[in-house]
Amino acid sequence: MKRVQIMLLIAALALAAGALLAYSAPLDRLQGEFTRLLYVHVPTLWIAFLAFGLTALGSVMYLIRKKERWDRLAAGSAELGVLFSVVGVFTGMVWGQAVWGQAWDWSDARLATTAVMIFVYIGYLALRQATADPEKRARRSAILGTIAVVQVPLVYFSVNLWRTLHQTQSIRPDGTTMDPEMLVALLVNVGAFSLAFIALLMGRMLVTRLELVAGADTELAGDTVSPPRLSEIEDV
Amino acid sequence: MSDALIVAGTYVVVYGATIGYAVYLHRRRKKAEQPAGR
Repeated sequence: MKRVQIMLLIAALALAAGALLAYSAPLDRLQGEFTRLLYVHVPTLWIAFLAFGLTALGSVMYLIRKKERWDRLAAGSAELGVLFSVVGVFTGMVWGQAVWGQAWDWSDARLATTAVMIFVYIGYLALRQATADPEKRARRSAILGTIAVVQVPLVYFSVNLWRTLHQTQSIRPDGTTMDPEMLVALLVNVGAFSLAFIALLMGRMLVTRLELVAGADTELAGDTVSPPRLSEIEDV
Repeated sequence: MSDALIVAGTYVVVYGATIGYAVYLHRRRKKAEQPAGR
C-alpha cells in the first residue's frame, strides 16, 4: 500500500501545481475566465482515452495469457476511464454553455461520439457486475474491452472527419497555435492528471486483489443456499 | 453568478471527483482487509 500512498501524494502535489499554473496563465480575449476550464477539460478526457486504451491492452493480454492481473488492469482502467470521461464532459458542458451558448448539441460529432463511448464503457462495467463467475466475467469483458477501443480514435478524429461545432485539436504534429504560457499550464495539468490516474489505477488494482483474496475465504450465498425444487413445493 | 465562481465551482467538482474516488477505494480496501464475517 505504501507505493500507492506515495504515488497519491506525488499526484496531489502535481495537481496543486497544475491548478496554480491554470490560475496564473493568461486568459483568452473572448473566453475570459472560462479559458481556465481548458486545463481540466483536456487532461481528463486525455486520461479517459489512455484508460480505455489500457482496458484494451489488459483485455487482449488476458485473452492471450489468461492471467488474472490483466483482467484487473482492464477493469480498473475502464472504471477510471468512465469517471474521467464523465468529469471531462461535465467541464466541456460548462464551457459550452458559456462560450457556445449551449451545453450540449447532439448534431456535433465529437459530443455524440463521446456520449456513445461513455455508454459503451458503462455497459462494460454493467457486464462485469452481471457475471458472477470470475473466469466468465474476465473472458466476456475482455472481448468487449477489445472491440470497444475502436471508438477512441473515432472520438479523437471526429473533429477532423466531420466539421461540426467542436473545434479541432490545438496541439498538432506540425505545431500549436497556443500561447506558450497556456501550453505549459496545459502540459503540466496533463502530467498531473496522468499521475493521479496511475495512482488511482494502482489503488484500484490492489483493492480488487484484496477483495479476491477475501472472497476466496467466504462462501457466496449462491453456494450455500439451494433453490427450492418444484417437486418439493408440490408435495406440501 | 460570476464567471470566476462558475469556473472555481467546476474545479471543485473535478478535484472532488478525483479525491472522492480515492476515498471510495480506501474504504473498500479497509473492508477487504477485515477478517471474514465481520
